[in-house]
Amino acid sequence: MMKNIYAWLDERLGFDDMYKMLLDRPEPHGNWWNTLGSASLFLFIMQGVTGIFLTVYYAPTPDHAYDSIQYIMNDVAFGWLIRGMHHWGASLMVFVVFIHMLRTFFSASYKYPRELTWMVGSVLFLLTLGMGFTGYLLPFNQRAYWATVVATNIGGVVPGIGPFILRALRGGTDVSALTLSRFFSAHIWMLPAALAGLIGLHLYLIMRHGESAYPDQDD
Amino acid sequence: MNDEMKKKINDKYEASIQNAERFWPDSIYKDLLVAFGLFILLIGLATFLGVHPEPKVDPTDATYVPRPEWYFLFLFEFLKYFPGQLEWVGAAVIPGILVGLLIFLPLYDKNPLRHNSKRKVALGIMSAIVSAIVILTLMASTIMTNMIAFILFLLLAGVLFFSLYKNPEKEIAWKKPALWVASFAFLALTGVTYQQTLAMAEPTEEVHVASSVPEKMSLGQDLYSIECVECHGPDGEGGEITVTAADGTEEKLPVKSISSNDEMYTRSDESFYEIISYGQPSLGMPPFGGAHGGELSPSELEYIVTFMRYTWDDRADVPEGAVTSAVPVLAEGEVPSYEVHVEPVVKRQCLSCHREGKENNNYLMEDYAGILNNGDNAPNVVAGDMDSILLQTIQGHEVEGVNGTIHVMPPNGKPIKDAYIDIFIRWVEAGMPETAEDASALAE
Ligand code: HEC
Ligand code: HEC
Ligand code: HEM
Repeated sequence: MMKNIYAWLDERLGFDDMYKMLLDRPEPHGNWWNTLGSASLFLFIMQGVTGIFLTVYYAPTPDHAYDSIQYIMNDVAFGWLIRGMHHWGASLMVFVVFIHMLRTFFSASYKYPRELTWMVGSVLFLLTLGMGFTGYLLPFNQRAYWATVVATNIGGVVPGIGPFILRALRGGTDVSALTLSRFFSAHIWMLPAALAGLIGLHLYLIMRHGESAYPDQDD
Repeated sequence: MNDEMKKKINDKYEASIQNAERFWPDSIYKDLLVAFGLFILLIGLATFLGVHPEPKVDPTDATYVPRPEWYFLFLFEFLKYFPGQLEWVGAAVIPGILVGLLIFLPLYDKNPLRHNSKRKVALGIMSAIVSAIVILTLMASTIMTNMIAFILFLLLAGVLFFSLYKNPEKEIAWKKPALWVASFAFLALTGVTYQQTLAMAEPTEEVHVASSVPEKMSLGQDLYSIECVECHGPDGEGGEITVTAADGTEEKLPVKSISSNDEMYTRSDESFYEIISYGQPSLGMPPFGGAHGGELSPSELEYIVTFMRYTWDDRADVPEGAVTSAVPVLAEGEVPSYEVHVEPVVKRQCLSCHREGKENNNYLMEDYAGILNNGDNAPNVVAGDMDSILLQTIQGHEVEGVNGTIHVMPPNGKPIKDAYIDIFIRWVEAGMPETAEDASALAE
């Protein structure tokens, strides 16, 4: 029975090809630094999972955001754990992605034929920072609010387009309910969608070119 | 890059993956192990460090010093070097250029050589930028982030040394210099961390943030005692207040009960919040919310409302563990102490007037020594003296003091509960012990 199901699925999905493409890839000898890319991916998935759980109780309005977080922390079973993991996961992800970037820089992996892998990667880094920036406002506490006031103010000092940037970020002249809903939507829809898509492209490029070998004296 | 070079690179790569590793099963275990390690680390961080609690938003509190997330600290610090008119250069131009340089690196770094000894310029520039980021971050960070940074350095340095020694290619020309540079950089960073930690050693003020109802109630109770008792009485029962009009005439105004069922059933938490924040200026109650010129933050207002609701509303489900009356009952023959009995009574019944900045004949009752020694007519309590001024006034007798009549205490509304008066009497009688041990020693 199981065999039949497997055969039926294999005929349509092609497990063999998948196995060859995804797992049975030949690679040059690597070391532990090579695990940082998959570690970034793991953290991205963790952030997605814990984040989705958080949206069950989180309410993105100035009146309720703070209380809903309090509720998650105190009343929801394991809410503190989920929030704690999401909180620390954010920091960890920025850190790990950054070190992954440095690793590919120092091993000169970004050179031909992996230029595009690097370019997509650096956009991924910026998007990760964007996730941190937009997520910071969501608890809507003192720290979040004032940090966002200051950060968006900085956007406003650019000559000419400053006021426009400020209004685009805040959805008005002040940090308000509109800012919160903007940041929320960016944090849970726009940025993750962009990240997921670009991670897919990044991984495709890695499979296409294979992992780079560490350079030796003749490279 | 010409086709010949490309072909050379591709051929070399083809050769390097012959008989090398397969992702599965040779190296995937490393990825899984690292992922698992990170997972455990996350659970550990969430469990043992948790998320630092922060108070509710208070848009009027312009004194709040905002701090960005640690990974933006370097930008924050960097901006300090671009004051005023130049801010946009630091905020937009330089970061913009750096981001562009980062993204398009493979397009302008035309050097086809990959070995580190052949790309000194690129390595130098990147190292300088990363060091600048790390140092700026440390300059802007708090002790906590410094500690974390320090531990990360240790880890990173360890991993770096380890991987340099264990590198697959045994003979690397730059290994020695690299180790020297890494050691020096590490020492320098340790120094900066240490110096920064010292510079920030003075403790910063911690705001206490309540999370549970009992905690909110007890913080609310303290605030209520200090801010509201003088007009509304310790139990919200109301009484009479004296307001001085602009022309100097004094007028006595009644204050109705705010703890009656009537009040509790007709007013929602939101409406209490608004009243306290806004005050009732026309009736004689000042505003307390920061937004209206008072000095309480939204979190503090919320604590007071929680306290009122759970203490006075007979429909409220008081959660287990909440202390509704913090004044312990005195048993037959027990000697009361300052710590256990007198302090809570004073806090609820007297402190709102008997603190700094109020009219009280300089009788500040904030601590044990103050109660014994302060006051224009000090001492107001004398061990064993049943005619002590304090005992007289709370039992409804006025006393002639050095600067006029001392009124009945508390001066407005009802006298305090008999049980509380009893606490004061027995305390003075026994010689005013400070701690519970002193009191039980006296009882024997
Ligand atoms: C300077 C005296 C004063 C202080 C201090 C004061 N109040 Fe009042 N408060 C009043 C007066 C006077 C009224 C109007 C009473 C009336 O209508 O009888 C009032 C009314 C109220 C009411 C509304 C009663 C109603 O239903 O109309 C509430 C609730 C209240 N105060 C709560 C508080 C709280 C909580 C505090 C402490 C943070 C506080 N007050 C501090 C004087 C004061
Ligand atoms: C509503 C404000 C208010 C409250 C509440 C209050 N007092 Fe007073 N107290 C005063 C004022 C005002 C004076 C200054 C004398 C006067 O005007 O009666 C004073 C003076 C005193 C003095 C004389 C101090 C001196 O050295 O002249 C004593 C003792 C005293 N209070 C005890 C208490 C005690 C005990 C309580 C709590 C049960 C209490 N008071 C609560 C306002 C208050
Ligand atoms: C969300 C963030 C990211 C994810 C999930 C991710 C994922 C991965 C994975 C799984 C690999 C293969 C394993 C490895 O070599 O570590 C990889 C390789 C690579 N990444 Fe990333 N990455 C991210 C960000 C970045 C960034 C910020 C850069 C650089 C700007 C970058 C540049 C590269 C390059 C050049 C390679 C090829 C390495 C080689 O072939 O040796 N990536 N990435």
